[in-house]
Amino acid sequence: MTDELLTQRIFSMMAQLSAVRVADIRLEHRLREDLGLDSVCSMELLSMMAEELDLDVPMEEAAQVTTVASTVDMARRHLALRQIALS
Amino acid sequence: MSEVLVLGAGGFLGLNTVRAFLSDGITPRCGRRARGNVLGLRGLGVPLVVTDFETPETLREAFRGVDVLVHAAAHYPRFSLTPAETIARGKGELDAVLDAAAASGVRRLVFVSSTATVAPSHTGPSTEADLFASCPEGSTYHALKWSLEQRLGHEARFEIVIACPAACLGPFDWKVGTSALLLATARGARPPHPAGRITTVDARDVARALVFLATEANPPDRLILANETADAHELLVMLAARYGAPLPPASLDARSARTLADAQEREAARVGGRAALPRELVDLIVHAPSIDASRSRSLGLHYRPLSDTLDAWDSWAQRMGLLQRPRTEKSA
Repeated sequence: MTDELLTQRIFSMMAQLSAVRVADIRLEHRLREDLGLDSVCSMELLSMMAEELDLDVPMEEAAQVTTVASTVDMARRHLALRQIALS
Repeated sequence: MSEVLVLGAGGFLGLNTVRAFLSDGITPRCGRRARGNVLGLRGLGVPLVVTDFETPETLREAFRGVDVLVHAAAHYPRFSLTPAETIARGKGELDAVLDAAAASGVRRLVFVSSTATVAPSHTGPSTEADLFASCPEGSTYHALKWSLEQRLGHEARFEIVIACPAACLGPFDWKVGTSALLLATARGARPPHPAGRITTVDARDVARALVFLATEANPPDRLILANETADAHELLVMLAARYGAPLPPASLDARSARTLADAQEREAARVGGRAALPRELVDLIVHAPSIDASRSRSLGLHYRPLSDTLDAWDSWAQRMGLLQRPRTEKSA
């Protein structure tokens, strides 16, 4: 999956859970302040992402994520880990 | 062991319960909402099934072949602002579960209720025999829990076992429900709170009890699961000392606490987020009866001391980034 496609998939999930449209989401946005996702919604977002991308993200790690950029980074990192595990 | 399904498996009590089953060598099916947090379950390698209370087909499909259903997902209102709607939704969701369980041949349902349904006793601490004769007034939370137990009292299609846990504390409270006052105190926020009592219990002990109720040949119909009862203010003072935090403010009288909680909930409902002092917490503290949980102890269930519970919660909360890790000598 290309980096751009990954980012778009994550933006799409964020738009499903927040009132912000995909086109208006920016990497620098904060999940709570800019997208209106409280801690429970943020956890649901990361769970949705883990399921759609088949990633094993520990809840403790997910709880540290506070921005759109760090969400994408986390997905990227776990996809890379999965690739290493599969190779 | 026959097939077990845990409803609400991804929640606070659910995660503890799934782990308790696994430690007994039982792998339960884990019911989850289509859109819910299952991060804590994915790492356990348990089977996940969608159980959407508004789509009965998903329940019937999920319950197929299930012998014992543990229901830890009863409606729990975030706000207590709309009692009639809250009770109607809770009863509707419970009816959906009961009907699907009957259609699927479930043998036993273990329902997680609350000590909110335990009425004060005039002869001493309240026991399992003390249930409000009519719907408690003035508390959405109490009224909801009582209404659900009333509905279960009329269920004759399969066995019903009701667990009434006190305020659960411990790891995996990722929505920061019961832990709200604890976390606020630990962070030095000096949370407002009503005068009254609070009875706590470790979520891991509740989980062990739920496994017992699911697997025991002849479990009691209703079982209180509670450990220590403390004055709410004194408990917060003890917690402040534990975390080196400022002492809590003086307790509020019941009316002031309700007024504050209602105002906070209205504001949270308007702008999003949660109330710092939820109304259900006020009601639980103000109306807390003295509890006698000796029946559960006589059945061999144990309760670990509050200090153990807090140690486990601290460790988990630090890993989750909710609490700062204590500074080591090197970093201090």
